[in-house]
Amino acid sequence: MNFVTPLFLAAFMLLLASAVLAIVTRKKFSLVCVALTALACVFLISGALQIGRSDSLWKLSGPFYLGVAPLSFRFDALSAVFSALLGLIALCAALFSHAYLKHLSGRINQKYYWCSLNLFVLGMLGVFLAANAITFLVSWEIMSLSSAALVVWNFSESKGQKAALIYLGATRLATAFLSAGFLWFHHAFDSWDFAKWHFNQADLLVPSMMVALGLFIKSGIWPFHIWLPYAHPSAPSSVSALMSGVMVKVAVYALLRFFLIDGSGSIYLAWVCIALGAISSFWGVLFAFVQSDIKKLLAYSTVENLGMIFLAAGICLYAQVAQLKEIAALAFVAVIFHSINHGLFKSLLFFCAGAIDSAVHSRKLDSLGGLINKMPATTGSFLIGSTAASALPPLNGFVGKWLIYQSLFMLAASETERAMNVLAMILIGLLSFVGGLALAVFAKMFAVVFLGRPRSPAAENASECSKLMNAIPAALAVLCLVCGCFAGPLITYFCRMHPLYSAVSLPSLPIGQIAFLFLAFAIFFYLAFLRKNGERIRYFSTWDCGYGSLLPKMQVNSQSFAHSVGTIFGHLLQYVTHFEIGGHDRRHFPERIKAETVMISLLESRIYGPALALVRLLNRHFSKLQAGSIHLYLLYVFLVLVAMIVIEVLA
Amino acid sequence: MILTSANLVFIVTLTIMPFLLIGVIKKIKACFQNRVGPPVFQSLYNLVKLFNKDEILSKDCSWIFRSGPLISFSGMLLLCLSVPWLPLQPPVPGCDIFLFVYVLALIRFFSIISSIDAGSPFSSFAASREATLSFLAEPAFVLALVALGISAHSSDLALIFGQPIENNRIPLSVWFFSGLALFLSGIVELSRMPIDDPSTHLELTMVHEAMVIENSGPNLALVEWSYALKLLLFFGLIAQCFVYSLSKIIALPPLLLPLSVLVVMLALGCLTAMIESFSVKLSWGKNPDFIAYAVSMSLLSSLAAFAMNGGS
Repeated sequence: MNFVTPLFLAAFMLLLASAVLAIVTRKKFSLVCVALTALACVFLISGALQIGRSDSLWKLSGPFYLGVAPLSFRFDALSAVFSALLGLIALCAALFSHAYLKHLSGRINQKYYWCSLNLFVLGMLGVFLAANAITFLVSWEIMSLSSAALVVWNFSESKGQKAALIYLGATRLATAFLSAGFLWFHHAFDSWDFAKWHFNQADLLVPSMMVALGLFIKSGIWPFHIWLPYAHPSAPSSVSALMSGVMVKVAVYALLRFFLIDGSGSIYLAWVCIALGAISSFWGVLFAFVQSDIKKLLAYSTVENLGMIFLAAGICLYAQVAQLKEIAALAFVAVIFHSINHGLFKSLLFFCAGAIDSAVHSRKLDSLGGLINKMPATTGSFLIGSTAASALPPLNGFVGKWLIYQSLFMLAASETERAMNVLAMILIGLLSFVGGLALAVFAKMFAVVFLGRPRSPAAENASECSKLMNAIPAALAVLCLVCGCFAGPLITYFCRMHPLYSAVSLPSLPIGQIAFLFLAFAIFFYLAFLRKNGERIRYFSTWDCGYGSLLPKMQVNSQSFAHSVGTIFGHLLQYVTHFEIGGHDRRHFPERIKAETVMISLLESRIYGPALALVRLLNRHFSKLQAGSIHLYLLYVFLVLVAMIVIEVLA
Repeated sequence: MILTSANLVFIVTLTIMPFLLIGVIKKIKACFQNRVGPPVFQSLYNLVKLFNKDEILSKDCSWIFRSGPLISFSGMLLLCLSVPWLPLQPPVPGCDIFLFVYVLALIRFFSIISSIDAGSPFSSFAASREATLSFLAEPAFVLALVALGISAHSSDLALIFGQPIENNRIPLSVWFFSGLALFLSGIVELSRMPIDDPSTHLELTMVHEAMVIENSGPNLALVEWSYALKLLLFFGLIAQCFVYSLSKIIALPPLLLPLSVLVVMLALGCLTAMIESFSVKLSWGKNPDFIAYAVSMSLLSSLAAFAMNGGS
């Protein structure tokens, strides 16, 4: 018995009902909305699990015809994976919002929040299931605009305005490129059905690049990533979790659906993906290191992870062109698996950031500290999330990264072009470098937020947030562990989705075994060496050179921890530190010491800024054409008419 | 894990060798400084002493602080048991290059956060330095191993190291350059001179020693023990690289192999001691230049791997 279509339909209806209800009703709507959205997500997950390996198409006929094409959905294994992820994260986000919005109460309009949130989920679901370009674009627009509405919630602040404008600009660009590409494809194949389109044909390189460009912008790949560090900190944490966990994956899904799933590939797109992916992963992690706002840091880390995913996609495309089946299958699995992993751990981290924000009312790393004793549950989830994000075994982040490493390794060892071998080798080096940096980033964030002494009175007086807000990150943390330790079956499952898969032998990863041994060792040595010393511990203050108590400020903070990295990569980061030491005897008894670190985003100051200035300049001149006088417009009409006649006569 | 005679040798090596290496390094350094120096197994005696001592904890620290040394010791032991020794296969099978590197990274993560836990500026800045140094040196370490893996057509450590000489397909140049790259990045990872001075008493200049400035008693003992294991792990891998390169030039009888690895490890200890006696610590800003040598060695090794890979 197949319940796929009814389940998905029910999910759609419930989301829509919840969105409408939020706007229409007057009182006590929050709880109803949560219930409806959560129920929709449960339907969504069960529907996605029902799909399994089946492949079915569902068309909505009658009044829902979208002008040129019917509203039609396709349920297959690939959309099942991504809709399951969406269902899970949306469920968490809905439940989390219920508790989290109390923290923002009075500042946020809950009606619009719930309406936009439901539309947002609905839009993403539509994109994951769309079977033709029109359905895809409509859902894409619902997703983009509703997420922009969610980013915009604090439009009264100038920061919010800037974030909303930049984000809206990015989504408009992405949609423009996608629509142009789709129109071209429609022209080439005379159909709106994705099933009839072939994206990897050599003569359709330009439109496929346009589509790819739209996807790059949406996923925040370098150099289009600049909207991420604005949009994520501005949006409420539950929305950031959805945006970073799922929305950027929409682009990954589309890339898989259009370019990868049919087993062919375009070599040019492969190069673009590899190059941009590699740069994004490095750029993202480097900029993450010097951030001092939790959510901004997480946003840059999203750039890094998306870079790795696109890198793997590029490898997959290349391998498909070069007919290296094992590598193609492995890289394909890496793309899917790391998308899911990143969805899990990044939304976990954003939820934790929301919990911290609601407890301390600050996201600045330098006003936090010592939260481990105040918020033990959040600390535990955050620790697991940060170890997963630094790709440490036995967590899921490691498995994803390991798959990418393995596909690169196999590519380096394979019998293909020598240049590709060398490139794969260099990419392995780059990834290990990025991995080391990511570790430093998350170690810094965890340590500065949770360890040491509180750096502000608010952090000193913080208390653990509500049980629901602890339970959701904890559940995601457990999932991260499970996906890491039992990765083997999942990898095989995803591998079967690849068209070139023919029982390829994948390298095995004994991660569960290693994790078990590790745990056994740790417990054994704890019992053997540390526990029996329990009663022989004395407590004393931290070593202070005998000068007296250490102040909270006499600790490493986010800037000082990153200082050496800032100086090493000073040119890329535009990292400048000013020192100002003043006073009567400034050498021995300085009365005033001031140190200031300035960092300007290189891309924004050198490329986007000048580009925008150019557009403004051109606008100023072109606006003279639009003088608003009816005579002038009549003249234009007349001139065009004359021009057309002349062209017609000449032709 | 089955207790065979091979595993027994393994365990004996694991228990004695780390302390012997540290002892030899200290003894030779003492010789150069015209001192008698501590007994060779002084670090073992220190360990016993520390395990019997009381522990002092900072009031500001949490459970993370004590978990750091525990995790690094368990992890190091696990890695020592999953890396092959020249004629012997490891008791824990199936560890590949990337798992190996990332278990080391896990250990580093926890040692960094546990050193910041007490809120001491000394150990926190050391942690920042450790993080910086290790991500700079990471590519050298990974690429050196990957170059070996490419020549051996496998990323499984057990199929790269620990293979009988006659089965070994990896060319001399790859072994040699990887060995050099591992040695140079090992200096960074093990915080030896000229990157870090393990014997200085100035907190501001130290990396590894400053990170554990708050540790005491059994907690410190675990740190020192895991450091000794790390030394063994790195020197073991480097020594195997050099013994393999040697075996490409002169035919070594199979029985002599384990012995020659031990000898080369001690020789590496001597080399480290000599470097520490005759060189000065680099200033912090010069460290990336030093690490660049390690990276270039590993690049040479990978280029050699590619050049030889197509030829065969």
